[in-house]
Amino acid sequence: MSVSKLLVAGAGEYVDDIKLPNMLYMAVARSIYAHARVLSVQGGLNRADLKMTVGRVGEGGWGGQVNPAVVQPVFAQDTVNYVGQPVAAVFADDRYVAEDKLDDVNVEYEKLKPVMTIDEALSGEPIHAGTNSNIVRQLWLGEDFEDSSSPVVLEDEFDIGRIINNPLEPRGILADYDGDKLTVYISTQAVFSIKDGLAQTLKLNPSKVRVIQADTGGAFGLKSALYPEYIMAAYATMKYRRPVKWIESRTENFAASQPGRGVRGKMKIFAEKNGTVTAWRGEVTVDAGAYGGTAGTSSPFFIVMQLTGPYGIKKARVLATSVMTNKPPQGPYRGAGRPEAAFFRERMMDLLADELGKDAGEVRLINATTESFKSPLGLEIEASRPFFEKAIAELKYPEKSRREKAGIGFFVLLSALWGGESAKITVKDGKVDVWLGGNQHGQEHYVFVKKLLNEELGIPQERVTLNRGDSDMLEDGVGAWGSRSAIVAGAALIAAAGKLKKQVESEHGSYTLEELLKGNYSSEVMEDQNRQLNAFGAVLATVAVDKYGMVKVKECAGCYDVGRALNPKMIESQIIGGSVQGIGQVLYEGVAYDAEGNLLTKNLFDAGLPIAENIPKFTIRVFENPSWMPHGARGLGEAPTIGVPAAVVRAIEKMTGKRLRHTPVKPEELIE
Amino acid sequence: MKKVKTSFKVNGNPVELELEPRRLLVSVLRDDLGLTGTHQGCDTTNCGACTVLVDGKAIKSCTMLGVQANGKEILTIEGLATQGQLHPIQQAFIEKQGLQCGFSTPGMIMTTCWMLSQNKNLNDEEIKRMLHGNLCRCTGYYGIVESVKYARKLMQKEKRVMP
Repeated sequence: MSVSKLLVAGAGEYVDDIKLPNMLYMAVARSIYAHARVLSVQGGLNRADLKMTVGRVGEGGWGGQVNPAVVQPVFAQDTVNYVGQPVAAVFADDRYVAEDKLDDVNVEYEKLKPVMTIDEALSGEPIHAGTNSNIVRQLWLGEDFEDSSSPVVLEDEFDIGRIINNPLEPRGILADYDGDKLTVYISTQAVFSIKDGLAQTLKLNPSKVRVIQADTGGAFGLKSALYPEYIMAAYATMKYRRPVKWIESRTENFAASQPGRGVRGKMKIFAEKNGTVTAWRGEVTVDAGAYGGTAGTSSPFFIVMQLTGPYGIKKARVLATSVMTNKPPQGPYRGAGRPEAAFFRERMMDLLADELGKDAGEVRLINATTESFKSPLGLEIEASRPFFEKAIAELKYPEKSRREKAGIGFFVLLSALWGGESAKITVKDGKVDVWLGGNQHGQEHYVFVKKLLNEELGIPQERVTLNRGDSDMLEDGVGAWGSRSAIVAGAALIAAAGKLKKQVESEHGSYTLEELLKGNYSSEVMEDQNRQLNAFGAVLATVAVDKYGMVKVKECAGCYDVGRALNPKMIESQIIGGSVQGIGQVLYEGVAYDAEGNLLTKNLFDAGLPIAENIPKFTIRVFENPSWMPHGARGLGEAPTIGVPAAVVRAIEKMTGKRLRHTPVKPEELIE
Repeated sequence: MKKVKTSFKVNGNPVELELEPRRLLVSVLRDDLGLTGTHQGCDTTNCGACTVLVDGKAIKSCTMLGVQANGKEILTIEGLATQGQLHPIQQAFIEKQGLQCGFSTPGMIMTTCWMLSQNKNLNDEEIKRMLHGNLCRCTGYYGIVESVKYARKLMQKEKRVMP
C-alpha cells in the first residue's frame, strides 16, 4: 500500500504506535524556574547518574568551537537555566503511573535572577559559571569600508519573535537494548544525526547503534537535533534492560523543544537617489536561549551571510552575535535564518522606496543582479533580475499595488546542499528498494525517487519502494532539512543509478532494464556538494484591516522558481502550507515569557497556530529554470516562509500607514 | 485505583473492559485496544488529532474519559474502510492532497465524516469554520477543504449513507 493510503487508513506507524514487550514509559521532571541553583535532587535518574553534555548534531547542532561550560548537560547539574529543563526521569509500566511517579522527585532550588532579553544578556551577569559574558559567538562579516558621502542613509531596527515549530506530532523515542546493540525508533528528520549523537554522548561504538525512523508527524526543523530526553531513554534501556518509550506532551514541547527565530536586526543602508543601494551595515543578534552549540550558535552568521539576498550590493559589513538567555535553546524553524535575512532586507527596501517616493517593486528591480555576483558577505547569486521582472508582471504587482495596496517581497532560497547526502539502491527478485540518508516526514520523497529511477534506468514506478530511514541500511547520511532532499538525495540517487547501470553493462555488455531486474545489484553513493544553489521567489500579498486592528490576508500570490517540478502537486501543497506558516509568523504566532522566565504560552491556541478560517486565496506560479544539478531542481520547502512575511507586513503597512518593525504584528498597535 | 467495568462498541465490535476511571478515551483506544490510528497531538483539546465519532458525533477523545463511553458506539478511523476498500473521504484526502505528514489526518477525516453527516451543502467558508477544532501544520488547510468537497462529490455519486 502507498504511504498515503496507510496514513488515511490510520495504519501509519508513528513512534507512539510501536509497542514492544515489557516496555517502560519514561516521564521527565523539569525545572520550574528559569534560573536557579540546584541544591539537591532526589528520586529518579538524575544528575548523579548522567553528567555528560548533549552531543551537537543535526541541523540543530553547531559543530564548531564553543566553551564546554555553555553546552547543555543531559540532566541539569549545578544550575537550571530554563523553565522545562530536564532535572530527573522516572519510569513505570504504564504512562499514567510514570506521570504519577514525578511526584516522587524532590528538587531543592535557590532562585537566581533570570536573563530574558537580548539586552539583558548583553549587559547582565553571565548565566553560566566559568564564562565571562553571555555571548556564545561573535564575528564581523564583510570588509570594512569608508562611509562615503551617500545621498541617502537610512537606519532601522527589527525584531522577529520566537516561534514554536509545533509539528502536530510531538517528539518521541522508543529505545531498546538487547545486551549488544541499541535500537532506537524515533520521530526524526535524520536517523544519522540521532545515531551519531547517541554514540558520541554515550560513548558507544557506532556499529552498535541502529536508528530507525518511525512515521514522522511533521518536524519543521525541530526533529534533527539530539535532545536530552533521547539520551535518557537510551541510557535507561541499557540500565534496566527493558525497552523504554518517551512521548512528550504538547505542554512539554512548548517548554523544552527548540523553538526557532528570536532575532534582532539593526540595519543601516547607503543608497543613491535612483534607489541603488551601495553599501550595508548592520548587527544581527540571535537569542540562542540557555545553551550554546545548537542552531542558535550558527544562525546569526547564516542570517548575515544571506543579508544582501538577490541584490548586487557591493559593500557590506555586519556583526553577527549569538547570546544566551534563560529560555530553551534555539533551534531551526522552517527557513532557519533565511526568513530572518529576507525580513530585515526587504523591510529596508520598503523604507528606501518610501524615502525616495518610488515604487517598492522598482527599487528592488534596480538592485537585482543582472549577472552572477558574489556578495561581500559570501552569498553567490545568479542573475536575478530576469526572474523578478517576469514575476512582477505575472503577479500583476503594479496594478495590485495601486488598487489594493499590495505588498511585495523578493527572496532567494539558498538550499542547504553542504554535506551532501547518501542514497542506496538494491535490486533483487525484480524489486527495487531505495534508502536515503535524509528522512521524509510529509514531503513524499518517494515521488521523486520513483520518477528519477524511471528516467535514469527505465524502472516502472510500481517496482520501486522507498524504505523508511534506517541507519543500518546505509553507510552514512545527513538529513532532511534546508529544502535539500530532492536536491542532494536526488543527485546521490542519480549517481547510484549510474553505478547500477555500469554494473549491468560490465556483466552484459550493454544496459537493459530486463537484465537489471533479473539480477542482484546494489549501489550506494554519498555525494557532497560544494557550490551554492539559488532558487528565486517573489510573493505578493493583499490584506484587509478592520477597525479593531484585526488583519485578514486576502490574497497570497507567489512566483517560485523550483528549477524543475519533480512533484507538482506536492510543490503546491508545500507552498500553501509554508505560506500559512509565514502568515502565522506575522499575525498570530509567538511564545511568551514573563519577566521571571515563566512560560505563558500554554496551548496551541496561545501559540497562535493558524486555523482553516485564517487562510487566504492563493495564486501560485511555478517557474522552471533548470539548475546545474543533474535533475535540474533548485529546492522549495522553505521558500514560502522566506517570502511571505515580508510581503504581508508590507501590505499591512500600506493599508494602515504604520511603519512595522517586528513580528508578530499585534492588532492593538495598528489602531493606536 | 479501583477499576470500573465499561462496555461499549468500537467500529461495530462490542468490547468490555475494566478501566481506571482516570484513563482518557484516547488512551483506552490506543493503548488498551491497539487502535493507534487515533492520534494524540496535544493535551489541551486544541488539535483534534484524536477526533472519533461517539454515537455519530465528533468528539475529541483526549477530553473524554474511557468510562464515559459506557453504552456508546464509537467509530474510529480504523472502522471507516469496508472490506479493504477505503471510504470516499479517505480516497478524497489522497487525491486532493489533504495531507502531508498524516498525523492530523485521521482526526480531520473523522471530523469530515461528522460534518458531511450534518449538512451536505456547506460552502467553503462553512467548511473552514467546521474545521476550526482540527489543526494541521503542514498543508495550510487548502487541500483539506478541497478534500472535503471532493469527498462529498464521491459520496453523492455512490449514494453513500454516512458513514
